[in-house]
Formats: sequence, structure tokens, C-alpha cells
Amino acid sequence: MNAPTSSPPCCGREDPGAVAQGMEREQAQELSRLRRQLLVAAVLTTLVILSSLAPMLGGPQLPLLPSWFSSPWTQLLLSTPVLFWCGRDFFRAAIAAFRQHSADMNTLVAAGTGIAWLSSLFTTLFPEVLRAEGLPADVYFETAAVILTLVLLGRLLEARARGQTAEAIRRLIQLQPPTARVLRHGQPIEIPVSLVVVGDEVQVRPGEKIPLDGEVLHGSSWVEESMLSGEPTPVAKARGDTVIGASINRSGSFSFRVNRIGADTVLAQIVALVRQAQSSRTQVQRLADQVVGWFVPVVIAVAIAAFVGWFWISGNAVLALLFLVSVLVIACPCALGLATPTSIMVASGKGAENGLIFRSAEALETAGKLRTVVIDKTGTLTRGQPQVSDFERLPGAALPAPTLLALAAALESRSEHPLAEAIVSYCRQALGQGLAQALPQAEAPELERFEAVAGRGVQAVVGGQEVRIGTPRWLPELGIATASLAPLLERLEAAACSVAVLVVNGRLEACFGVADPLKPSSAAAVAALQRLGLELVMLSGDARRTAEVVAAQVGIQRVIAEVRPADKAAVVRRLQGQGEGPVAMVGDGINDAPALAQADVGIAMGSGTDVAIAASDITLISGNLAGVPAAIELSRATMANIRQNLVFAFAYNLAGIPIAAGLLFPFTGWLLSPMLAGAAMAFSSVSVLSNALRLRRFRPAPLPMAAA
Amino acid sequence: MLSDAAQTSLWRTIDQPIALKGLVVGIGLLLIAAELWWFLGRHGAGVAARGSDTGLQEITISVDGGYKPARIQVKAGRAMRLCFHRLDPSGCLAQVIFPDFQTSLDLRLHATTCVELPATAAGVYPFHCGMNMVRGVLEVVE
Repeated sequence: MNAPTSSPPCCGREDPGAVAQGMEREQAQELSRLRRQLLVAAVLTTLVILSSLAPMLGGPQLPLLPSWFSSPWTQLLLSTPVLFWCGRDFFRAAIAAFRQHSADMNTLVAAGTGIAWLSSLFTTLFPEVLRAEGLPADVYFETAAVILTLVLLGRLLEARARGQTAEAIRRLIQLQPPTARVLRHGQPIEIPVSLVVVGDEVQVRPGEKIPLDGEVLHGSSWVEESMLSGEPTPVAKARGDTVIGASINRSGSFSFRVNRIGADTVLAQIVALVRQAQSSRTQVQRLADQVVGWFVPVVIAVAIAAFVGWFWISGNAVLALLFLVSVLVIACPCALGLATPTSIMVASGKGAENGLIFRSAEALETAGKLRTVVIDKTGTLTRGQPQVSDFERLPGAALPAPTLLALAAALESRSEHPLAEAIVSYCRQALGQGLAQALPQAEAPELERFEAVAGRGVQAVVGGQEVRIGTPRWLPELGIATASLAPLLERLEAAACSVAVLVVNGRLEACFGVADPLKPSSAAAVAALQRLGLELVMLSGDARRTAEVVAAQVGIQRVIAEVRPADKAAVVRRLQGQGEGPVAMVGDGINDAPALAQADVGIAMGSGTDVAIAASDITLISGNLAGVPAAIELSRATMANIRQNLVFAFAYNLAGIPIAAGLLFPFTGWLLSPMLAGAAMAFSSVSVLSNALRLRRFRPAPLPMAAA
Repeated sequence: MLSDAAQTSLWRTIDQPIALKGLVVGIGLLLIAAELWWFLGRHGAGVAARGSDTGLQEITISVDGGYKPARIQVKAGRAMRLCFHRLDPSGCLAQVIFPDFQTSLDLRLHATTCVELPATAAGVYPFHCGMNMVRGVLEVVE
């Protein structure tokens, strides 16, 4: 067996599944370590509190407890392991950070609890010094222990929540089954997916997950791709069709040839895109980042100033020290740092679940501010595949309909016009088995003197008959009267059809109406976008008349028609210039790519070309326009969530510091004990995280009933 | 949690000699100045990455309570490879994020994980841990 040489683990290109597993194990270890530390801390802290209660209550001791239990020495003994065993990580990290001239939340926690502990140690050793000053020889071991326990609790909750925010990615990675059944020397063997190489033939049974991307070789089935595209309907797969790794095989058995493995698979690329979005910054966050850098050193300065100020006012060192500790403890900037990234992480994961891939945090941010959405018609509102919607044998036609269809199929099968394919498949379908009957040589027609007349149509001699198919504008040149055709043409054009006429031996025989049918969800998606208050513009290369008809069918009022592909970007730029921005562009084709890049938010249909997807900020994997309102709703929900988080974080930190420093005490009598400060600090992070996790409940609003 | 008796005596004002108060204020201000200088001041230039056979600029950063070194100097216009050796068990440090490169990296404990970053223009590109608490900076110079 030839194992592929895996890329060295250094370059971030290793198998995402293996890394995820390792990370998960480490995360579980951290959680259990934190839980153990917290348990020990909680037990010891409870004892310290009980011990400190006795002198506080004024009594000599609590009933049933020996007198030594309430001695400061007992408290020293109980609280020391809480600080320096349960809380060793804080001190270790604080010292390491200090050596590198950096200060963070560990610095604040370590300094706050350390100072409370040290001053209490001093009181325990030399109580007479304080008594001489007329101060109670109180110790604050319980304060230090309580703060540390609360911070540990916050840590534990954070670690758990962090695991949940990363869950979306993990769930994506876990979509890939661990093994594949590969044919080697004609025998199926089960091997780990990482050992499968490009070109291997893999068998898939009903109910199994497809391990990798490839092309179906034998068999056929229905495959559910909902986990990647969000589309619930299973898709039929037969020989030659592409299957995507991680989708679920519903009904039949088939085998396929693997053509993409490892980091090249669609799943791996989606994971990479989501990660990319999760590691980029929003504008809001850039601001928060700058604040965090200054925050801790400034807080330490404020804490020292509080000590100095209160000592100056009261001359009471113990009181001043309590203020210092409170300021240090409440100011942990964790919540501030967490405010944006957690929301972004949850949101981009949530997007991926709904088939919306955001390329960057900025795309997520801008999508909520959009005012105008430009929608390319072909492939976005419509299927992008023209179909014959009308076939009419005209009055005065000499040949029977089957013969006409067979002649049209024969002639158009040679044409390269985009409408020709639609006509051929329509004719073949309409005739079915009757094709050979209608025209004996129809399967392999002999075309003589085939000629494509530019801008007009095609002509040839088929079975001795002179056949032409082309636009009605060709008719006058051929000397054929078109007056009788006028009402029909008008009706077809009103239905947004392009018209092709069939002329046999100089006689007008039949007429085809070809239209690009709307996707079923287009009208509902347009209504949803309008409900979100967005200005919609439809962009089309079609004639104004046709474009307007399509626009009316889906309910869009503004149409910019007859736009050449190269001018699409210019249209977007013009709208931006007119102050209608931020502008989103929705498209799927190669020719949409410049416009997608020009738009403030480019949205590509996942069914579209790779170029379009590469140029876009958001990819709708399902290729369903309904993803656009969903993406905008998600973005709005996310930005609202980030604003709430920032309010939480700033409220705790900024409002807490002056209170902790005792600034409000002279006016209101408000004070914050160090213990309460510790609780507030721990819960600021927790409330930010739980608020961000609320986004996990986001569901795009159901589409409104189509207006038309 | 303080009893009335304890509170009254804790909240008392004590007359301190003005010299002592002055001394405390002086020491306090000095401490503030020293602390701000230590944390916010500039302390030496970044550690320069060295070239390697692969043509990349390489540097190994140890992750232990912080990034060591935290200021890294690289040359503009050349791709670089940053290797992180994680020694700190804290979960925050399990991820490094390079926002300007839209890249993040998961670090295994007691292992070295590397990332290759493309060549960029001169400038200052910060990176930070998953919680944005521990920060480092890439100084790209001409």
C-alpha cells in the first residue's frame, strides 16, 4: 500500500481532522485540570471563610469549632494552597509576562490576590504593629482565596464556552467519515481516509457518508448534500456526476474515482474559509485591540493612585490597600478582548451551518450595513439554463409537428448558439421514441451545406429540405411576410421569451419560445430582501423588455438592462458613487467576478464558477438566493451582539474601576469590596461569552410567501 | 462581612505625619512611572528572523505566559515561517491569530507548530492569542 507522503506538520496544511482531535483532547485535559483546581479551591476557601467568620461575628469562636480554627495561622495555612497551588497558573503566567514587559489579566489577578495575601501575612506575623496604630489586626486571607476561586470559576466557564464556539468548525471537520472502502487489486478494503490517494476507486453503500470528492464511475444514487449546502433535497447522482466528501448517500450503491484529497477537498476548503473569517478582525475590534494594549498598565497606575490618594486622605494603610486590591481585581480586560472575536466565531460557524460562508469578519460586519443589493439575472434569479417554454406550429404550416421537431433537432444539434441546446433537448424530449419515426435519419442526420449566419440563425439542407432556424428579424430578408406573426411574438416577449422561427423550404412553419426559467425561490427571496428594507437592482445583459418582464415576475422595480459583461463593475461603482452604498453584488459567472470584487460585499452562488467564488466575500453554497437575506440577517444579529458585548465589557470595566477606587464613596457611599470585585470580573467574561453563544440560536427568518 | 465593631475601627482616620504621607505619595508616583515605563516603554528592537536554506525567514517563538520573543523583525518582500513552541498549558494560548493575514494556528502543548506567511510590505503586524490577552508583533522592515 502506498501511503501518500503527508506534508510536514509544520505548515498548517496537515490533516485538519487529526489536529482537531488532538486539540480536543488537550481541551478536555485542560477542563478536567481546571475542574480539579476549582474543587480544591472551593473546599479550602469555604473553610477559610468559616474560619474568618468567627472573629467577624464578634464572638470568640463559632460553636462546635475549636478555638485554633479561627486563628489567622489556620487561615494562612488554608489559603496558601488556594493561591499557590490552585492558582499557580496565574502567578506563573504573570511572572513570565512581566519579564517580557507585558501585562495582562494574569498580572492583575496575581497582583491583587498576592498583595492581599502578603499584607495579611504581615498582620499575622506582627499584629502588634497594627494594634499600636489603633487598627484591628484583621487578615484578608479569605478575600484572596475567594477572588482566586471566582477567577478560576470564570476560567472554567470560559474554557467550556470556548469549546462551544469552536464547535461549528469541529462539527464540519467531523462530517468526514474516518475510513473509506477502497478497491485495491480488485478487492475492497477499508482504510483510513488519510491513506486514500487521488485516482483510487471508492465504494459507497446506502446510508454511508461519502469520504472524499470524486466522480461517479458505477452505479447511481440519491445523495444528500444538506450539510454542505443547507439544501434539504437529495440530488441524483449517476456515472460522470461529481460527488462531494461528507455528503450522505441515501438510496443506491455506487463507486467513484477520488479526485481530491486532504486540504483540496470541498470540505477542507470550507473549513479553511470559515477559519479565515474567524481569524480576521472587524473595524470595531481594531479599536478594542488598541484599548487592551494600554489597559492593564493604566489600571495598575490607577490602583497605585487609589492607594496613595486614600492614604493621603485617611492615613489608614489597611483601608488604602483594600482599594488597591479592588481596582486590580475588577479591571481584568478579558471581557473586552472576548467581546468581538467570540461573536464572530459563533456567527461564522452558524453561517457555515446554513450554507453561508463568510470570507472575513469584515464581510460579516459590512453585510449588515448594506443598503443596495444588485442581483445579476442569469444564474442568480434564473436557473441560467434556457428552456423551451413554447412550441407552436403556425397556421399554414405544411409539415406535421413531429417532423418539424425532428428537423429542428437535426439542424440545431450542429449549432453552437446558447439557445440551440435548449431547442435540441426540448425536441428530443417531446418526440421521445418517436424521433426515428418522424425522420428516419434523425439520429445521425446528414446535413448538407450547413451554415451559421451571424446574428440571424443557422441553415442547412436536411433530407433534401432546406431548413432554417433563427430570429424573426431574419424573415424579411428571406422575403417572408411576418405580419401574421406579430401577436404571437408580442405574447412570447411579454413572457420574457426569446423567439426562434423554423422555416422549411421558404415557408414559415413553427416558432419556439425559449426562456430562462426563474428559480423557484427567487420571488420569495426578493420579497425577504425588500422586507429587510434593501433597495434592489436587477442587472441583465438582456433586452430591456425581457429584463423588465423577469424583474416584474420576481417583484424587482429597478432594472438596469443591456449591460455588457465588462460594464457590470462600472454599474456597481456608479451606484456606490451615487451614495447608495454599501452595495452588495450577487452573481455567479466569470463575468460577474469584477463586479463582485468591486462591490462592498460580493456574494457568489456556490453553484457558480470558481472565479466568482474567489472574488466574493460571501459564498452561498446552496446556490439559492434565499441565502442572501439569511446572510444579511445573520450579519445584523452579529453586529447587534457585538455591540451588546462591548457594552457589557465596558460597563463592568469602566464603571467598576471608579467604584473600586472609591471615587464615588464621598458622594454616594458606594464601595466595592475586593471579593465583590472578583465576582464582577469573573462574570463580565461569562456574560460576554454567554451573550455571544446566544447567536447559536440564530435561525434565518422563513421566506415570505412569494408576492407574484 | 465586617462586623460593626471591626468596621468602625477599620474606617477610622489616622493622623500620619505629613512627611510619611509625602513619602508614600512620592514612592507611589515613582512606582507608577516605573510601571508605565516597564510595560509601555520600548525595550530594545525586535529579534530578527534569520534566513534559511528554503529561502524563508525563520524564527522560533516559545509560548510560555507570553511570546518569547514578542517583537520579531523580518524583512519586507520575503516570505517567512514562524514556529511556535507551546509550553504553557493555558487554553488561551492554544491559538495564535494573525488578523492581518487572516490566519490562525492551533498550537499543541509541548510541540512546535509552524505557519508560513507570505511576503508583505513594511509595517507593523500584530498577532495575539485566542483571547487577545497575550500579544506579539511582527515588524516588517525594508
